[in-house]
Amino acid sequence: MKDVIQIKNLYKSYGDVKAVQDLSFKVKEGELFAFLGVNGAGKSTTISIMCSALQKDSGTVIINGNDIDKESDDIKRALGVVFQNSVLDKSLTVYDNLRSRAAVYGIHGNDFKTRLDELSELLDFKPLLKRTVGKLSGGQKRKIDVARALIHKPRILVLDEPTTGLDPQTRLTLWSVIENLRKTEKMTVFLTTHYMEEAADADFVVIIDSGKIVAEGTPLQLKNEYAGDSITIYGIDDATANSLGISYEKISGAHRFSVKNTAQATELITKYPHIFVDYEVVKGKMDSVFLTVTGKKLEGGDNK
Amino acid sequence: MKTFLVMLKRNIKMFFKDKGLFFTSMITPLILLVLYATFLSNVYKDSFMGVLDGFGVKVEESLMNGLVGGQLFSSLLAVSCVTVSFCSNMLMVQDKVTGARKDFLMGPLKKSTLALSYYTASAFSTLIICVLAMIACFVYIGIVGWYITVADVFLIMLDVFLLVMFGTALSSVINFFLSSQGHISAVGSIVSSCYGFICGAYMPLASFGDWLRNIVMFLPGTYGTSMLRNHTLNGVFEEMTSQLTKTHPEPMVDALIEGLRDSIDCNLYFFDTQVEIGTMYLIVSLSILALVAIYVILNVLRKKKD
Repeated sequence: MKDVIQIKNLYKSYGDVKAVQDLSFKVKEGELFAFLGVNGAGKSTTISIMCSALQKDSGTVIINGNDIDKESDDIKRALGVVFQNSVLDKSLTVYDNLRSRAAVYGIHGNDFKTRLDELSELLDFKPLLKRTVGKLSGGQKRKIDVARALIHKPRILVLDEPTTGLDPQTRLTLWSVIENLRKTEKMTVFLTTHYMEEAADADFVVIIDSGKIVAEGTPLQLKNEYAGDSITIYGIDDATANSLGISYEKISGAHRFSVKNTAQATELITKYPHIFVDYEVVKGKMDSVFLTVTGKKLEGGDNK
Repeated sequence: MKTFLVMLKRNIKMFFKDKGLFFTSMITPLILLVLYATFLSNVYKDSFMGVLDGFGVKVEESLMNGLVGGQLFSSLLAVSCVTVSFCSNMLMVQDKVTGARKDFLMGPLKKSTLALSYYTASAFSTLIICVLAMIACFVYIGIVGWYITVADVFLIMLDVFLLVMFGTALSSVINFFLSSQGHISAVGSIVSSCYGFICGAYMPLASFGDWLRNIVMFLPGTYGTSMLRNHTLNGVFEEMTSQLTKTHPEPMVDALIEGLRDSIDCNLYFFDTQVEIGTMYLIVSLSILALVAIYVILNVLRKKKD
């Protein structure tokens, strides 16, 4: 798969504040790429530079084979962006919003009607077309935000915390639509999110802190490297738990042990097979990865 | 062109569907109309009567009402064309606040297309409101004393059109630098309260001190007020001349009329030189072109936010 986004040695400062420092990463075509960081880590700055809304200080940004310094219009056509805060015109109807957005890309007449039909079917918002955006529910608005971003058939969909504030059902619907798009249209998805379970489903994850990359890899690689496993053993007493010689916490009807990795878990199971009768080994979570590499908890999601 | 038209339609719809913006725009002409009709008209009337009494002449009641009404009419429209345009042009600032502008420019939309769509939409919305105000003024004049010729009616329409274009261009350049709701309120308040004074609508420039009058003569809006005043009052002065020359010596009547024209800015003097009406049109037209050019250039040259 070719690299659809290539960012190399990107720098951006606001006065003395270094928002992005020597940022380099690649995103492969069709990939779900998660870009994580606390507020102020440099995520939005990077996205704004990618979308030609902000001037970089130095570095190279190549998107869909186009250099942002020379072919920003081509890049604009390749990107669709869903912002954290909706930019729909609340006093206009859904149709009017999509009509003006399509016009930005020079999509008019039958081309617009055809695309509108495709999207309204895909995202199931046909009954909403004549309704005023301000009167839609949060989930309905989000659907229209996505439709707005997809109106020009972009190759890359940038989702800036798209599911923040949505109810679980709407989040699931949105993700099912995005998954469908990735499969059917080979669309690359560039995601920033506060929901770690969404990042856990990504093909590749980059975590930034203070404008620098602090960890990158697949979710599995990151979990293996930065988050320990946990073993939960059911039906043993404290004396048996103590005999394993590692720290644990007591939970209802069981004891939970923290181990460095799966290898250590395997070693314990092999060494004490009589203790491991009823047990489960669980890999570390992305929250733990994030906490380990940044020393910060990613606020938001359900905690927000 | 299609993109421009769609953006234009979007901007016009946004203005008329935003009740806050729409009613704020309407409120300036409405307050002025009520103020003039209930209070200021009597003040002006007494003032004119005083001048005429000084010359020892009397005119018909309806002619006096036509004179006062014409002045009120011209003042109201001169102020409204500009203040309303500042309200209707707030959409471009609101789009910055909501992120809509940034969003549009993330697509391959030309900055000049977006800028002109804001300008044209604002001019259109302002024109609608000012034409309604103009019709209300015509009705008012029709009731109190109509002396406006057909030619002057068309010239008033042209004046309103030009002043709307001027007000929209001026507000476009000023609003270009605004980026928050606070800025919108501050500029709206300043323009609403000050513009009427500096364009000679609330008080004739003739009543200003020399230095202040000379300064405001550099402002194109002043000429717009005078253009409107000439066209709303030409008929009144012609009728007054015709009536008074029957009973008074012509040189005295001419002096009286010229004195009145000077006192309410129908005659404008750039330092000591009288500015002809054709020159006023030229100044206002060139100002519109210059301001629109500055506005488009500002938009095109605007760098991506650092």
